[in-house]
Amino acid sequence: MVDQRDEFISEAQEIIEGLARDLLALDASLKRKEGVDHELINDTFRAVHTLKGLSGLFGVARMSTLSHHLEDLLDEMRLGRVELTPRVLDVLFRAVEVYGQILAALRAGEPEPARVVDDLLSTLDDSVSRPTGAAANPLAEYDLDPGLLAVLTEYEEHRLRTNLQQGVGLFVIRVRFDLATIDGALDNLKSRAKPHGEILTYLPSGEGGDAESIDLDVLLASRQSLDVLRTELAGPNVQIEAVARRGGPHRAASEPPATTFGGQAPRVTTPPAAPEDLFAVAPGTAPRGPIGPILEEEPQATDAPRQGLSIRGVAQTVRVDIRKLDHLMNIVAELAIVRSALSRITDRVRGAPELRELGIELHRLHRGLDRHLGDLQSGILEVRMVPLGQVFDKLARVVRQISREHDKEVNLVITGAETEVDKLIVEELSDPLMHMIRNAIDHGIEGKRVREERGKPEAGTIALNAYQKGNHVVLEVQDDGAGIDEDRVLATAIKRGLVSPSEVEALLQRDVLGFIFMPGFTTKAGADELSGRGVGMDVVKTNISKLGGVIDVHSELGIGTKMTVTLPITLAIISALVVVIAGRRYALPLASVLEALVFDPSSVRTIEGREVMTLRGATLALCRLDAFFGLPRPPSATSSARRFVVVVGVGNHRLGCVVDQLIGQQDIVIKPLGKSLEGVRGFAGATELGDQHVGLVIDAPAIVEEILAAGDASRLLGARRGGEA
Amino acid sequence: MSKAREASEARRAALARRAVERGIRAEYLAFRMADEIYAVPIAYVKEILKLPPLTEVPRAPFDVMGVISVRGRIVTVRDLRRRLRLPEAAPTRRSRILLAELGPEQGGTGERVGLFVDEVLHVYRFADAEIESAANVLGSELAEYVTGIGRQEGEMILLVDLKPILGGAKAPAPAQRPALGGRTGA
Repeated sequence: MVDQRDEFISEAQEIIEGLARDLLALDASLKRKEGVDHELINDTFRAVHTLKGLSGLFGVARMSTLSHHLEDLLDEMRLGRVELTPRVLDVLFRAVEVYGQILAALRAGEPEPARVVDDLLSTLDDSVSRPTGAAANPLAEYDLDPGLLAVLTEYEEHRLRTNLQQGVGLFVIRVRFDLATIDGALDNLKSRAKPHGEILTYLPSGEGGDAESIDLDVLLASRQSLDVLRTELAGPNVQIEAVARRGGPHRAASEPPATTFGGQAPRVTTPPAAPEDLFAVAPGTAPRGPIGPILEEEPQATDAPRQGLSIRGVAQTVRVDIRKLDHLMNIVAELAIVRSALSRITDRVRGAPELRELGIELHRLHRGLDRHLGDLQSGILEVRMVPLGQVFDKLARVVRQISREHDKEVNLVITGAETEVDKLIVEELSDPLMHMIRNAIDHGIEGKRVREERGKPEAGTIALNAYQKGNHVVLEVQDDGAGIDEDRVLATAIKRGLVSPSEVEALLQRDVLGFIFMPGFTTKAGADELSGRGVGMDVVKTNISKLGGVIDVHSELGIGTKMTVTLPITLAIISALVVVIAGRRYALPLASVLEALVFDPSSVRTIEGREVMTLRGATLALCRLDAFFGLPRPPSATSSARRFVVVVGVGNHRLGCVVDQLIGQQDIVIKPLGKSLEGVRGFAGATELGDQHVGLVIDAPAIVEEILAAGDASRLLGARRGGEA
Repeated sequence: MSKAREASEARRAALARRAVERGIRAEYLAFRMADEIYAVPIAYVKEILKLPPLTEVPRAPFDVMGVISVRGRIVTVRDLRRRLRLPEAAPTRRSRILLAELGPEQGGTGERVGLFVDEVLHVYRFADAEIESAANVLGSELAEYVTGIGRQEGEMILLVDLKPILGGAKAPAPAQRPALGGRTGA
């Protein structure tokens, strides 16, 4: 929970800082009496829009409400209906300030500040003269969660409004779906509900649900009575409530409060919102979004009667801090030490003839202990494993949101959601996967018209597949979109000086597509709000490498793109190349190994006292690892023996490591070196290579950094550019 | 059984009497390094190992012999001889590794560290009153690591202070490293 909140805070912080910069630039242009840069206004609009989505997703209701209002204002400005004046700018700067206050409150675990937000909201309303006859707004009469209203699309809101204006009743159907059958079950519910009204939207309820199931809140507008709906739509795990009208007949004192749609927080009192503002939040009510635990519970909330719907959230699961599991694992290790001490005693007792019987008994007990200890260890490892479905759920939300914003229709087809991976990996996976999916929707899936011209179904498909393969988990993100245009990638790569035109011939498809993982690489002319700013794929690759994984791209123009991520099941096990240096075995994590080739000493040249060789037209810095580590060469190694170069890559940098022998690939368990060796650079840890022998795991990034950052990096790069021209 | 118990009771009573006479006696594990006898408080020694295959760690502090795996845990092995400037001989079948640990409350880091010794002898008991100060006898270099000297059965036992070795203090610069002539790779 804490991590999630921290992530939200830091992400929001970053956006707000960007927003402040844009506002300053706007201010400057206003002062110089220049024309207003529309791109800047667009940027601010996007920033606020992102904040709205983000805070809605995380249930930070006031921030969401504020963002919604700001978005309105900026939208009007964008469309030229509101002029950018210093006064409007004042309000916007004030908003940045208030955002900061909200974040500070969240960070301190306090509820969002109410007064400052409300003050700002009323100022905001003054600065935008809205033509709407807001007093007649039907939404304000209903007890709807502002967090929900903030995430409704314009269309959904419009439908909601229309229905309410026609006096249609509003109902919430909360259904628990089994994740395995959700698609069919949801369709079934939709078809059953259709004769009775209109399904306006459905969202995860944010509570209940577990690894196998999820609770959805379905908002239904219907003229039927609650009883009729309850009968007609009855089923297992289905609960239907009417959404109460504020101050209406539903809120009679004797009647239990009706459910709040989209949020689980109980409302104590719900004073009618200010009539001219349908999103206003009355002080003290502090509505909660779907993800409540981000905010600390407020004391008064506990006094309120919890509704039946919320009580059912008690599941058969507990949340455990992963550090507690690490602690348990360490205890198991300690127990193993006790066990071996016991084993020695057992042997001694068995060795004494007069204690033979006791010895046998002790031996039996010891064997039992041994077995249970093994079970305990694998049990704890198993607890760390969680189904990938956890991330996939989040991605489904993202797909829905992004595809709507792009006005593209996208079906997400998920397989293998039950595949399990280490919890730490799952946490780290959501960002890279989100980037990949955004890219697929933004760059991959074509607009509806183009798809029609190309003879593809109107709705694009993104397939998210996961499956286990040996000690690894494979994740595929596949779209049936436009594919990656290699020519455009190449053109951009040449323009950015990543490759010279003469080198292009030698490149394979893999090399070409590899450019998309370069920092800042983009082929799209204009950046839009979601992806295409050229940040993304390099971050994806870095994140995946950090987890010891690799990412591959395969793309066919006009048919689609497939990204394959291969990850270790647990963080502790990685694939490594075992090499011999000066008679000693070392492991090089495969994540940083690009290729290995036979070392040709005659190809070595010296630039600025540094050994380099030429590999496919590019200059490759060399590092003789034996000398680098200060290892004396064993007399047995003759200088004529064949040696190898292992090319390691870290980000943009390449380094050829000269080793004596390649032994092969092996899955290894990385263990930390003790505190005494903390200061030793160049090793990521150690591992057992069998036969009780410990091999050191080489920290390729550290070595590359050390070699290249030794002051010669720039000169080397200069040589690379100049030397080949 | 009862006889054994009687004997142990008697021994304990004798020990208790002597402890009262001379102060509480602490137990020290004695070991040999380069023909001299050293000892460390046994409370800090968790385990005694035969020499497993040792993996050198390039660029490590000068007294690090390498790392070993103890039931899956990677343990750094330090060579006390290098700290105490003793001549180094090749490991023999008597060579052992003491797994020692000094918790934070004893001024250590809590890390379990292996200490290479030429041979493990036995346990000595000394009361504080029986320990001579080392400062008068030894040069200042050695005095850094030796807290005192105990004598028993005609042997002189140098009591080693583990704090500077396990306490996370920086090892002296490798420039002061003694010649490694006698040492062969593990």
